[in-house]
Amino acid sequence: MSVTSWLTSKVKNWQIRREMGYPYEESRPEKQIAYVFDINKCIACQTCTVACKTTWTSGKGQEIMFWNNVETKPYGGYPIKWDLNILKSLDGQSWDKEGKYNGKTVFEAAPPGERVLGWLPEEEDYSYPNIGEDECAGIVEKGAFFSGIHKAWMFYLARICNHCTYPACLAACPRKAIYKRKEDGIVLIDQSRCRGYRECVRACPYKRTFFNLVTRISEKCIGCYPLIEKGEQPRCVQTCIGKIRLQGFLSKPDSPQKDNPLDFLVYVKKVALPLYPQFGLEPNVYYIPPIHVPKEFLYQMFGPGVDKAIETYKGAKDDKELLGAFLLFGSTDKIIRSFKVEGDYALGFNDKGEMIAKVPFKEPVYIRPYFDKKVGTYRHNIP
Amino acid sequence: MIKRLSLLLLLVGLFLINPHCANVEQNQNIIKSVRVKEVPFKDLRSSIWKKAPVTRVNVIPQNMTLPSLQTPTIQYINVRSLHNDNWIAFLLEWEDKTRDATVDVNKFTDQVAVQLPLDPKSLPAFMMGNKGGRVHIIHWKAIWQDDIEKGYRDVQTLHPNYWVDLYFFSEPMIYAEGEFPLQPTTVDYFITPEALNYIPGAYARNPISIFHRTQPVEEAIAEGFGTFTTQPKQNAIGWGRWEKGVWKVIIAKQIVSDDPNDAPVPEKTYIAFAAWNGSDKNVGARKHYAPWVELVVER
Repeated sequence: MSVTSWLTSKVKNWQIRREMGYPYEESRPEKQIAYVFDINKCIACQTCTVACKTTWTSGKGQEIMFWNNVETKPYGGYPIKWDLNILKSLDGQSWDKEGKYNGKTVFEAAPPGERVLGWLPEEEDYSYPNIGEDECAGIVEKGAFFSGIHKAWMFYLARICNHCTYPACLAACPRKAIYKRKEDGIVLIDQSRCRGYRECVRACPYKRTFFNLVTRISEKCIGCYPLIEKGEQPRCVQTCIGKIRLQGFLSKPDSPQKDNPLDFLVYVKKVALPLYPQFGLEPNVYYIPPIHVPKEFLYQMFGPGVDKAIETYKGAKDDKELLGAFLLFGSTDKIIRSFKVEGDYALGFNDKGEMIAKVPFKEPVYIRPYFDKKVGTYRHNIP
Repeated sequence: MIKRLSLLLLLVGLFLINPHCANVEQNQNIIKSVRVKEVPFKDLRSSIWKKAPVTRVNVIPQNMTLPSLQTPTIQYINVRSLHNDNWIAFLLEWEDKTRDATVDVNKFTDQVAVQLPLDPKSLPAFMMGNKGGRVHIIHWKAIWQDDIEKGYRDVQTLHPNYWVDLYFFSEPMIYAEGEFPLQPTTVDYFITPEALNYIPGAYARNPISIFHRTQPVEEAIAEGFGTFTTQPKQNAIGWGRWEKGVWKVIIAKQIVSDDPNDAPVPEKTYIAFAAWNGSDKNVGARKHYAPWVELVVER
């Protein structure tokens, strides 16, 4: 059976601006779970990693499993070289001037006998979850510290399952043990149906499915669906102390809602970009690219929208609506379905239209007198 | 013309002669199950097995669905069969240079399976049946054999020095005097539903995540690709041993069973085979197979 005959459907992938082959028909969920991560704000404190780990993957067989990890780019990666390996085998990743991808997706580039172009990591590849931590792309030139901005760069890339519109894990599973929920687009592995073939581990270019050697089946990020069903954002989002994350729901690409903060940032302002859109999975974690990193690196990682995204991001100080959307990051545990800017406040609302977040553009300053007459003591400048 | 025919016959003859097994008595068209008083279910060396003729069944790489197996590493399975009117057993032997009986992300176990039709008169597709044409599969795995003989193959089996500070809800946390709590090295420390919640496959009662197996085989029904379904009632038995580069595995089932998911065993039926080489990362559809072979049960 050839790969081309297996890719029976032509589906629309808005991120690569063209149709592509996929084994199943286009079937977008009613609403798609999506995230925006502002890379510029991430400090790699790993609070998200620990929150996820203690919540979901503390069991026997999950020792090396991190559904959420934060790695240092350019050299870090978990599992090791997850990105380099697939980029190397996916040849000719070119985009035209209109932003259409001319290369092949991982589905279209599948070699004979395979459903998806992929690779299977070794055990050792999971043994160093934060390898390359804080390593810069190069040495800082002598004296560069004092002469202004130096050229050495690195950044932190927080990664979870992308709950892709066209998941490679789902396409690769011969048992159809992986499914995408119609109600929110979360991609799950049926823990009672999986037989541990590891086709999903091999196929996912982001390497976000993991093998549990005690249960002998595969597992992945579940998008904290018990929280989502309660109208709350996932653990990794709630616990992010840098407030770099916002989770919400993305509308279908042909019907963006401007007051939906996810739609606004992704479709309207185009300030948040998918990770490696050329793989063809239509991933739904969107990144605001780091502004200080060489463009060539960012083009490869986030596609042709990088220049505009960075320009828009830098202009946020003069764009009250955009700034308002950014202020809602980390402002509430609840899922913000719509937002607006009113006066000097950014307001977030749930699906019932109830206000769940109110963030001032400028934090009010209160100065208390040094001596507290009520309790008869001096206030010290300590927390 | 005669010359050409002779050459063709010579080539066919060469193909059928197995250089590794000089005492093969039959070709792969038929397997005869010989009636005996006692079937040696676990005794792979029993002389009783010699009463059954050997049938060499050639296997080929699966190439009908994706993913497929590109390069074969197993050429044939030698099959013997015995029965005692109640049980029918198959002794399967094949060459495999490595004994693969553990799993990890890149480690795969050796396996073999037999398949019988639920309705031999209306033979379903040989590759896992077809819709409406069900097949009964009995699947043996080397890792299950070790689970039974040596205890559940666990993290510490592959990584003996693995240490984890805390597994939530594992018990009992035994404190030896002046020492750290005992590391829960086996799954037996995870008993409560709270503890099993962190072992999701077991919590979901996935048949792959069974910690206390009684047999190294699993019975399933299927009616097409991707439909392998574990039977609710498991009544097949098996046993396997690897020696000097050869796997010998016995798979046995009841001839008359009250389980409606079990294939009947009339005097004439059919049997198909599949084999996986763990060291070559064979798993799932990446397998070797042999289509239906006639099975004659001597009464």
